[in-house]
Amino acid sequence: MDIQFESIEGNSWTYRITLIVLAAFTVIGFLATLYVIDKGIWVTGMTNRIPWGVQIVMAVYYIGLSAGSLVISGLYGVFGKLEYKPFARIAVYIAMLFLIAGLLSILTDQGRMDRVFIQPFVHFNLQSMFSINPLLYSGHILICVIYLWALFTERKKTTKVVATLAFGWAFCVHSGTGAIFGFGARMLYESPLLPAAFVAAAMASGTALMIITIVVLFRITNRHVDDALILWLGRFLAIILLVVLYFLFMENAYRVYVVELREAALYYLFGGWHAILFWFGLIIIGCCIPMFILFRNKTGNSVRWVLIASIMVVFGILCERYVIVLPGLMHPPEMFPGMLVTGTGVPEGIAPYSLSVVEVLQALGVFGAIGFLFVWGLKAFKLLPNEAKALV
Amino acid sequence: MDRRDFIKTAGGAFLLASSGAYAFRVLTAPSAGWMDVDFTPSGRKWGMVIDMNKCREDCTACLQACREENNVAFVNDDRYDIHWIRKARLQYKEESENPGKSVILLCNHCDNPPCAQVCPVQATYKRHDGIVIVDHHRCIGCRYCMIACPYNARYFNMKESEEWPNKDFPKRSHGVAEACNLCAHRLDAGKMPACVEACARQGCGALYVGDLNDHSSEVSRLIAKSAVKRIRPDLGTEPKVYYIGL
Repeated sequence: MDIQFESIEGNSWTYRITLIVLAAFTVIGFLATLYVIDKGIWVTGMTNRIPWGVQIVMAVYYIGLSAGSLVISGLYGVFGKLEYKPFARIAVYIAMLFLIAGLLSILTDQGRMDRVFIQPFVHFNLQSMFSINPLLYSGHILICVIYLWALFTERKKTTKVVATLAFGWAFCVHSGTGAIFGFGARMLYESPLLPAAFVAAAMASGTALMIITIVVLFRITNRHVDDALILWLGRFLAIILLVVLYFLFMENAYRVYVVELREAALYYLFGGWHAILFWFGLIIIGCCIPMFILFRNKTGNSVRWVLIASIMVVFGILCERYVIVLPGLMHPPEMFPGMLVTGTGVPEGIAPYSLSVVEVLQALGVFGAIGFLFVWGLKAFKLLPNEAKALV
Repeated sequence: MDRRDFIKTAGGAFLLASSGAYAFRVLTAPSAGWMDVDFTPSGRKWGMVIDMNKCREDCTACLQACREENNVAFVNDDRYDIHWIRKARLQYKEESENPGKSVILLCNHCDNPPCAQVCPVQATYKRHDGIVIVDHHRCIGCRYCMIACPYNARYFNMKESEEWPNKDFPKRSHGVAEACNLCAHRLDAGKMPACVEACARQGCGALYVGDLNDHSSEVSRLIAKSAVKRIRPDLGTEPKVYYIGL
């Protein structure tokens, strides 16, 4: 199969306006970050009891979205499904950008950004997941660069080796991200299942994002893609969603069953507006409806419906990231089991949290920055194939 | 690559990774025998005893003294206020009419501090004399230590503080983690922590700080003869703050 890769012309007004809007987002995010640096972190919604907010939610979400390349490189590079080769370049490019987005979100969340470029390298702590993960992320970015180089120069053997390496490395990246929370001491975090659940959720959101990107991008640039390729990804997405649901069920069933964790579990499932995000955002919109669409013969065989299901999954996994990070912090660590602790000066019980405009703008800035790089990359590099055909 | 090859490669990679993980565990084990050397000339291990029977409900002298000694900021907003030491009230959940009792809470200076384990830059570390302390010039402000601490004892300098009552101690800067350092600078100079002194001045004498390795010290004696409790020792953190009458 001979595939020609091309860059887009990028002369249309739509293209230019998209670039300008994304650049504007970046500037807004940059200004919001300068504001946080100047005033201190209190201008975000974070407090002493809720030390992590939107930026950490977005960081783990972006890292998860990079898993699209894990799936595509797995299919093409590792398992030799040649019909997915046309998507390899764009998948790896997106993965690289989302990993950069993840690192940018983490960077802009630090209290002392000026020290981030020196201290973690000078005083590395092998016992901290926060030391290990940036290594995994930046290692993955490096692998993506080499992978892209191998793809652009059409080195078949190198591609295969790097694709296999990227496949394994991505598993470590997503497991490591899950371990930041799963290996933590909070009642709603601590779980050996979480790293595996993160891999599943990442693959779901990554695959869904790849479907959206391929369908939308090929349509607006008037390229042909065989429906069968998208439909197969849709079926794969449905199966991954089953795995995501299985992990969610087991984790929550365990917490409800074990007496020690029951109160925390009930708070998680029914105790506030995060519960609405959990049930409606994640379970219904993010998993059940997409699975219904994808498993049903009529809708599962329609690219339009697969696209709708993918958009739902991308939204659902964003809710999943939120309901992992925040309720786990809002629920206090149990210092005196069975007792009620009331504070003088510190909110000791369930801590309140509300989003702030500033952190949403920061997140928007990170999105703008990588969106800009993505749209610019379409013109600068030969990322898109002239067409994508299924093997008959 | 066919399925058989993939299983072979994946199996090999798994074996390699698990042996690597084992080696990692051994190499980074916090108490690997031969590394268990105490370099402190004194061999001290600071610990604290809090006698809640002697603590007066309405007294907050220790809290005030700590703020003044360590320039701990107070902006009168419970979302951002920092409390190196604080007082909370405990009630049994079933008996909400029962007024309960108060308890003094602070950093437990754990022997296995989860905060130090997760710090990506080793800005939080345990000194050889057992004090868990933050290097404010190294902390990058990631707040992972606040997540890891099971005692809610860590805070974050969200705002640049204007207050600087004690010019002998550094002014707090924003963007770094905060917790009680057991007044390490005072202990090093042979003085007792500010809270302990203030408590004694009030005539309560509910707070004791001393060397847990010295069996004749007041804290060791109190721990030996009283029914002491620690907060959640089941977590394996080995807290070094002991309570009488909790």
